[in-house]
Amino acid sequence: MKYEAVIGLEIHVQLNSATKMFCDCPNRPGDEPNRNTCPICLWFPGALPQLSQEALEKAVLACLALNCRIQPESAFDQKVYYYPDLPKGFQLSQHHKPLARNGWVDILGEDGGNKRLRIHHIHMEEDVAKLVHETEGKTPISLVDFNRAGIPLIEIVSEADMRNPHEAMEYVKTLRGQLRYTGSAECSLEQGTLRVDANISLRPRGTDELNTKVEVKNMNSIRNVGDAIAYEIIRQTECLEKGEPIVLHTRLWDPEKRVTAPMRGKFSGPCLPDPSVAKIVVTDDWLKEMQGRLPEMPAQKAERFLREYGLTPEEASNMSLERDLAEFFEAVLKQDLPSRKVASWIFTHLVPALRDRNQTIRETLLTAERFARLLSMLEKDLINAHAAKEVLLQLLSSGETPEEIVEKGRFRQVSDASELESLIDRILAEHPSDVADFRKGNAKVMGFFMGLAMKASQGKGNPKLLKEILTKRLS
Amino acid sequence: MGSEIYTHRNPSPDSPAHDGPLSGKKVVIQPNVAVRGWLCDAGSLALEGYVALEDATVVTRLRKAGAKLVGSSRMSELGFGLVGDTATRVLTAGEADIALVTDTMGEARIAAAGSGVFGFKPSFGMVSRFGLVGLVPSMETYGILGKRLEDVVDTFSVIAGKDMDDPSMPDEAFTAIPATREPLKLPCTAGVVKECLAILEDRERKAFQTGLARLEAAGLTTREVSLSEFDLFRVVHNVVASVEASSSAGKYDGVRYGHRSLSGKNWNDMYLNSRGESFSPLIKTFLFQGAYFQFENYPAFENACRLRRRLVRAVTDLLGVVDLFVFPTRRLEQDAPRAATINHIYDAFSLTLPANVTGQPSLQVPSLALHTGADLGVQLIGLRLRDSRLFSIALKLSSAAQGGSAA
Repeated sequence: MKYEAVIGLEIHVQLNSATKMFCDCPNRPGDEPNRNTCPICLWFPGALPQLSQEALEKAVLACLALNCRIQPESAFDQKVYYYPDLPKGFQLSQHHKPLARNGWVDILGEDGGNKRLRIHHIHMEEDVAKLVHETEGKTPISLVDFNRAGIPLIEIVSEADMRNPHEAMEYVKTLRGQLRYTGSAECSLEQGTLRVDANISLRPRGTDELNTKVEVKNMNSIRNVGDAIAYEIIRQTECLEKGEPIVLHTRLWDPEKRVTAPMRGKFSGPCLPDPSVAKIVVTDDWLKEMQGRLPEMPAQKAERFLREYGLTPEEASNMSLERDLAEFFEAVLKQDLPSRKVASWIFTHLVPALRDRNQTIRETLLTAERFARLLSMLEKDLINAHAAKEVLLQLLSSGETPEEIVEKGRFRQVSDASELESLIDRILAEHPSDVADFRKGNAKVMGFFMGLAMKASQGKGNPKLLKEILTKRLS
Repeated sequence: MGSEIYTHRNPSPDSPAHDGPLSGKKVVIQPNVAVRGWLCDAGSLALEGYVALEDATVVTRLRKAGAKLVGSSRMSELGFGLVGDTATRVLTAGEADIALVTDTMGEARIAAAGSGVFGFKPSFGMVSRFGLVGLVPSMETYGILGKRLEDVVDTFSVIAGKDMDDPSMPDEAFTAIPATREPLKLPCTAGVVKECLAILEDRERKAFQTGLARLEAAGLTTREVSLSEFDLFRVVHNVVASVEASSSAGKYDGVRYGHRSLSGKNWNDMYLNSRGESFSPLIKTFLFQGAYFQFENYPAFENACRLRRRLVRAVTDLLGVVDLFVFPTRRLEQDAPRAATINHIYDAFSLTLPANVTGQPSLQVPSLALHTGADLGVQLIGLRLRDSRLFSIALKLSSAAQGGSAA
């Protein structure tokens, strides 16, 4: 039988508010263990939770960015379970009255067409403490770090609209881009500030059954999300074909072995309304203010880039994926440079350089203004592309102007014809057989000579001029 | 520094505020109110040795008003019921003018009735719960006990009011805080709930009639009203309170403070044994009950919440017709201070717990409903968040009725 996968994702995102969700402790889980704690997040007797306005605002911005409808009234519940990562025997979460419902994101489906994936709801909840399991001598010990306890999270619960790993990966990628635009969250799978749980079930193709699902956790990259889902589809297909029933349970993705393995029975405790945290009542005025704070979203930006700067649809879409880069691009264009050339320099030189250095553009010393001046020099033939690349790398970590770097590093292009002519004459004299080859009709030799000439000029020869001279001398 | 009556005695109760509204008044609190440096064990082994890290909002306000905190009395485990409570002993011994007793189902008012003093449970949301080690967050509030009604009113005025540390307090509560000591001038009508009288024994009914007659003589008009679902207060309280208690007591695991069991091979054993050794059979039963509704019968909890809203509506509607309710406070047949099973406790507190379910203010007035030497106690119950108005009525009545302290 042919099966079809039904996939829904539950995504936890840590918000980057300055403080925790219900107290004034700093939101810095990476600090020395248990440094960022207080009677509220340790839940000492008599403590009362106080919802952070900043966390609420960041959560609302995130919901708006995912096209959700903010509910006029939402409230917190106590999700009851007993585990050492919870200091009070329940987690404050929104079960009965979530912050927002009915959102969506658009993705590019596998067939290249647009597909809209629906979001069922988004609710707020507090993160739990981190457990560290170690051994002391031969005794296994478990340590609890409460720095993470009480950090604000939103949980984004999708509808089960996804049918294959590609759609799930695109969903995460798109959603992450949109959330990052709002500035509410860092959304790093690697660092655990965005965590994906996938619910996967199978059904005979063409039916609309909803079968028992299996939950898969612990994917720390988008590629792992796709791989884990793909693995799980194969595993469940084999089960069904062998006639084994699918049981509701949770599995962990093992990125080393590239398999999923069963983890624990699915526990669902009760959720009861919390009497202490104030209800969240959203007024129209406030919502309008929040909507006003929402930046232009990637899809709108891509459309505008297409229209205003004549980028291709693919360029426009790539250029709008990250807000920092998109804004950098537009700032560079203020200097009256050809837009597609700027886009191409950003993608082929700047982005790879940033990736090599594991930095974001904000973390470097490069500014849009200095990048624009570098590209202007290139436009005016004062330097060649090879030199421009070198200068760009230096601009990332140096405060000097591009002009200063060009002068100091002698990157200025050599356009002095007589200097280049004598250089070429010397090369041709040293390679008589290659010259003969060329004259016999082997056109490829031209490239070989160009390479030698560039090298001899230490990368500074004006390539247009070099080619002219070579053609003249060889004809 | 504890004793048979005190959990903690304050060696230096003097407050630096000499001209505050409570200047010189001696106040005893319970050990479930956080005072920095004081033992704060809420009468439970689960909090054994726990010393508070900061002051509760009420403590800060009492001190600022010039009150002398003489210490904390002994209390029932986690404030549920009155077994072992010594607050009224401190009062009647003259060692305090005011006692704070947490009122979850009527503890403050029943204790006051048993000792012939005033006992006031404010509206839910009027007094900050920051620093209160509670059990049933949606029902409990500090009760104020005193021999003189004026002391009760003054104490309420000091501790009530918006506190940014307690976000559950409604904003609208604080427009009429400075509780007036002016007796109300308007004529007013009290509703006597028919279904509430129906459960009284003969002796109790007679005492209550005496109380009503005194109130009428003081100018109160009474009329019979019907709350057909009166018997639901008890079951709603029981279900909701046990569920909330089960949740609130979840934090007592012996990890960060309190009693930790020495036995057990892993954390799970440690939780189970620590909790098992900490709680009394009464609290265990109550927590089990709450856990049952949480895990096994959640729809019953949801129904109880729905019924609670219906009861609040019914009571609010009736208070559009009458100005207040008059209830008896206690059952003479029930020995509340010794009630130590769930059923026994709910029997003994059946007349006080409705105000905890609805969040209404309720004032126990002594020495009105007397019969053959016993004081049944009378509760004046008003509209939620209109505590000041209830005081005005009480002052009017107590200035006229025999037994109320002189205004």
